[in-house]
Amino acid sequence: MPRSLAPLVCAVAAALSAGCGGADSTVSLTFSGSAVGPEGEVVSRQLARFAEQHPGVDVSLRVTPDAADQRHQLYVQWLNAHAPEPDVLQLDVIWTAEFAGAGWIRPLEGGDTDFVAAAWQAAHWRGTLFALPWFVDVGLLYWRTDLLESAPGSLARLRDDAARLAASGPARFGLVWQGARYEGLVTVFLEHLTAFGGRIVDAGGQVVVDEPAAIRALTFMRDALGAGGFVPASVLAWQEEQTRFAFQNGEAVFMRNWPYAWALLQDRAQSAVAGRFAVAPFPAGENGRFTAALGGAELAVSRWSRHPDLAEALARFLTAPEQMLERARLAAQFPARRSLYDDPALADALPIPLEQVRDALDAAVARPVTPVYTELSEILQVELHRALSGQATPEAALHRAASDMRALLARSGLADEGARP
Amino acid sequence: MPLLVAPALAFILAGSLLPIAATAWEALHGHDLRLPWLGRPFIGLDNFVEAAGDSRFRAAFVHTVAFAAVTVPVELGLGLGLALIMQTATRGRSAVRLAALLPWAVPTVVAALVVRFMFDGQTGVVTAMFRSLGLIGPAFDWLVHPLGAWVPIGVADVWKTAPFVAILLLAGLQTIDPALHEAASIDGAGPGRRFLTITMPLLTPTLVVAAAFRALDALRLFDVVYVITAGGPGTATEPLSLYAFIALMQRLRFGYGSALSVTVFLLTFGFALVWVRTLGRSLVGERA
Repeated sequence: MPRSLAPLVCAVAAALSAGCGGADSTVSLTFSGSAVGPEGEVVSRQLARFAEQHPGVDVSLRVTPDAADQRHQLYVQWLNAHAPEPDVLQLDVIWTAEFAGAGWIRPLEGGDTDFVAAAWQAAHWRGTLFALPWFVDVGLLYWRTDLLESAPGSLARLRDDAARLAASGPARFGLVWQGARYEGLVTVFLEHLTAFGGRIVDAGGQVVVDEPAAIRALTFMRDALGAGGFVPASVLAWQEEQTRFAFQNGEAVFMRNWPYAWALLQDRAQSAVAGRFAVAPFPAGENGRFTAALGGAELAVSRWSRHPDLAEALARFLTAPEQMLERARLAAQFPARRSLYDDPALADALPIPLEQVRDALDAAVARPVTPVYTELSEILQVELHRALSGQATPEAALHRAASDMRALLARSGLADEGARP
Repeated sequence: MPLLVAPALAFILAGSLLPIAATAWEALHGHDLRLPWLGRPFIGLDNFVEAAGDSRFRAAFVHTVAFAAVTVPVELGLGLGLALIMQTATRGRSAVRLAALLPWAVPTVVAALVVRFMFDGQTGVVTAMFRSLGLIGPAFDWLVHPLGAWVPIGVADVWKTAPFVAILLLAGLQTIDPALHEAASIDGAGPGRRFLTITMPLLTPTLVVAAAFRALDALRLFDVVYVITAGGPGTATEPLSLYAFIALMQRLRFGYGSALSVTVFLLTFGFALVWVRTLGRSLVGERA
């Protein structure tokens, strides 16, 4: 029970702090988000600059856990308790619908539309803009330029190259991806799924993850695993870093990972493959198209903020081109603004060659947009993991996932509306 | 006089009865933090009905009970062995006791992490050992095998808690009057006979208590699993407490999560009640 008392405690604490600082002439805003390492540095610098431009405004940074689950849990507790702080929240792209649906974040004016399409779409809920895309992340295929002439153009070639090179010896593993039972597995699955022409939800919002194309995609992933395949079974316990270690030690021909790995893999002090790899989009299979799962963050204004206009101004300031470029330079994160990709300054700012990621960015797809996304995803994670670890056939696992997902939408009062693809 | 126990009563009330009652009350509501538009309606036992039909819950229940049924006897056996060694060690007695107790002093999360590394599919020492003996194939990975994943969990739990059992049993052993053993050996009883007819009967009350402690802990299994497999692969190693945690803290379904927590409480409480009523009473009865 102590856990469900936490919102109450938050509410009391918030009420007390409101009592303390109410009549002051300076206005204080609180920003909450990632603040570790270079991200923390760049965000502190930008918050200070905003305060300089707005005399009488004091902006503070509230550090929240870097682990997405923990930050999510904290936000939900604060917002449930109607805490007036933080004013501006950094949201993971998959949370926006949940927070908008719950009425925890304010609708925003949508005049400025210069954002990457999938991120722009994920920032909306029921046709209304609720957040400003801040930075984006896309799944990429890292490949070894010393072992291959070119990136594989199809999933079949990826499989053949991976299997051949893993069998003949230059690397122990053909391909490594994030297979632990967590959100990363859903993004890997989404890329395979789209490669086979499948979808999690259809245009009408209904769950279709048990269609034949989805079953083919999951069967491909399962067959790739283990003794006869080209992906080590251990990936089912791996997240991003374990796959990076395998690739950076020269043990894998291919790796599916996010852009963050680029700079680390180029670091000769720790990487055995520095200068011997490149990135490309994860390729398409039969009847499908290549794609990249979209990750990243957006900024939203809390419904309970006492200074909503100022808070929105801060969110717009942080998502302005200059701040995004600075963030790209200092924290190596991809800006969410489309127009910046034509700006040579961005190519200079980012360590990763832009021409290698542009295709993936253009093809990026959002995960289903629904207030119950986290639970929807958890159902899928469990069933995918069951199928991949041989506890169920891909068909049985996906049928079960789909029926559980439909039951969840029905229980949440979202059966008709479904989830937006 | 009643006033003097009032602080203690108030403490029990505030510290355990109220939270338990509040959880039980929450369990009777439909309450999902992420879906505030659904409100917090009173829904009676619907959460428990949902749990009964939830295959993941039923599997977690089986995992929890099976884990306790397997690990507790192993821990009692190993603990007894350790206790006998500690009891009979003549030289370096304190060194032996210290060595035996060390695992108990290691934080559970640290112990679990160490075991996780030892059983890592690529770099673990245990995995390498089994592989070189030809017992497992080159592609085998403990953590992604639905049954194999229980092995590191069981090893971590037994390694960590057998010393606890040992120290309880050692205390029990030391209450046995040495004169009984002397008299029996004068009558010609060998060590095996003395163990079965003197040590075991006199140690039984302590064994019952140790078993109760361990079983209650095992039925609340959480941390070792959380660190080693997080319930995977799929949900093959997910115990009740972990599922309740996921429902509460990840899905933020406070009503359903509370209902799951209440079942964990009822399971342990029911076990404790039956255990004390049957074994406890028969032991007390024998003595009287």
